[in-house]
Amino acid sequence: MSERITLTLRAALIRPLGAECISADRFADLSEQEIGALELWDGHASVALGDVFAIRGDHSSSVTIEGDLAHLDGVGTAMRGGEIAIAGSVGGGVGARMSGGAIRIAGNAGDDAGIAMAGGLLAIAGSAGDRAGAALPGASKGMTGGEIIVRGGVGRDAGSRMRRGTLFCASVGEGAGTAMIAGNIIVAGDLGDGAGLGNKRGSILALGNVRVPPTYAYACTYRPPHVSLMLLSLRARHELLVNDEHVHGLYQRYSGDLADIGKGEILEWRSM
Amino acid sequence: MDIRGVQIDDTFAEAFGMRGARIIITAKNQKWAREAANKMTGFATSVIACKCEAAIERELAPDQTPDGRPGISVLLFTMDSDSLPKRVIERVGQTVLTCPTTACFDGLPGAAERIAIGKPLRTFGDGFQGSKVIDGVRYWRLPVMEGEFLIQESFGKARGVGGGNFLILAESADAALDAAEAAVDAMAGMPGVILPFPGGIVRSGSKVGSMRYKTMIASTNDAFAPTLRAITKTSLPDGVNSVLEIVLDGLDFRSIAMAMQIGIDAACRPGVHSITAGNYGGKLGPFHFYLRKIMSGDVEDAPKEGAPA
Repeated sequence: MSERITLTLRAALIRPLGAECISADRFADLSEQEIGALELWDGHASVALGDVFAIRGDHSSSVTIEGDLAHLDGVGTAMRGGEIAIAGSVGGGVGARMSGGAIRIAGNAGDDAGIAMAGGLLAIAGSAGDRAGAALPGASKGMTGGEIIVRGGVGRDAGSRMRRGTLFCASVGEGAGTAMIAGNIIVAGDLGDGAGLGNKRGSILALGNVRVPPTYAYACTYRPPHVSLMLLSLRARHELLVNDEHVHGLYQRYSGDLADIGKGEILEWRSM
Repeated sequence: MDIRGVQIDDTFAEAFGMRGARIIITAKNQKWAREAANKMTGFATSVIACKCEAAIERELAPDQTPDGRPGISVLLFTMDSDSLPKRVIERVGQTVLTCPTTACFDGLPGAAERIAIGKPLRTFGDGFQGSKVIDGVRYWRLPVMEGEFLIQESFGKARGVGGGNFLILAESADAALDAAEAAVDAMAGMPGVILPFPGGIVRSGSKVGSMRYKTMIASTNDAFAPTLRAITKTSLPDGVNSVLEIVLDGLDFRSIAMAMQIGIDAACRPGVHSITAGNYGGKLGPFHFYLRKIMSGDVEDAPKEGAPA
């Protein structure tokens, strides 16, 4: 049994490779040989993990992956526990349907990061693509728990149909929180257009600029008590650069989407 | 044993098991946190008539509270498990929810037993309330005229100890009050302990039941009442003209014993004759605070004689 399993990419990937088998909780029960025999998917063809990665260690739920992994998709899919550290960037679908454990990415992540996530932590030091924390195609619910922390920007449709959990990012593209059922989207910078359309009970916290949709109505300017709690908790646990003026600041509350049940909100920071 | 000329009687305070909760109240500033805490802990001196015993435990700095605002920690105790949530709910609902700028949090996050507090209070929101799960803990947001009231869904329930006590026997009423005030000041802010009576001091210590009135569950402690010295079986030494009592409730034996140690030491001052304690012969309460052991530095609980190992 090793303290940690390290996968080192043998040669640069030239096209997407499906790596849904790489999951920290699954590795905890496997020998080096068994890990090497797991199947990656190159289109319809399978390839042994051991042929793509050099493997060091066995029987551990702490996994490090090294190399340029921008074409490696599905890492940590349905992961239930353990920890994966990705030394650089990674492809799409990282942490999809994960329900526990932590995935930490030193670089960027592709599209569908944390899609349909139910629990655990997905921490991305760089940026993420479209549909972070959103729903799988055709599914009624997106993210149902856990936290996605993106220190950079996030693409379109982030948190779409989110049911629970928290997505934090520096900025976000169009359509954030579309058809959001509940949960929290916290954006330290600017939000793209169409944020919160179809929102039922979700909270979108805009510390930067936001164009509030016309189907939202202004309610009041106040200090939301849960915002202090939420931002202090995130700052303490993830060492995020959240200012005191945001923690204890005044926010404009917009209720919406009034085209739906209207119990959601966009909280736009105004001043200390 | 005597401390600075004050005799410490060879006796013990007898205390009972209770159930307790720690309520953290935060507000815009210390003034409003204290306003809510004062109201919440009003009329909560004794379970005999108040149904609970509660008091401010200590002030909290902004970096000691969940939302980064000034706060007050309150301890509330009841005699049984079932009545604890009732008492907390009615008091938080009437005194914290109503107080400007406050929010309310659980101060016993590690307690395995939980009582629903924010959950039943959420219905004040009349369907407009909403919840947030932050770091695995659910909070309720209640819309109110001022803005929003935030309260944690569940609070921890702990086994506590109620009725720790010591009596200050003094030459005069002034000397007794000076000594009692000094004791309270010394014990102020000690973690895990409250002094639920006015200013932390009791002037009307009681005995169980009544010699004359069958319906009374407690009546004046005539053995320590100086005006009755000549007509009752008195416990007062010569020269004692006034007695005040300090009652302590706490989350555990050790916290109370440590507070008693500091409080008794502070009470040993000129004009005080002796320090004693109230008990029922050791037959009723499972917690025995031996004054001389505590003042010798032994603040740990000890197995009782005859108790199962």
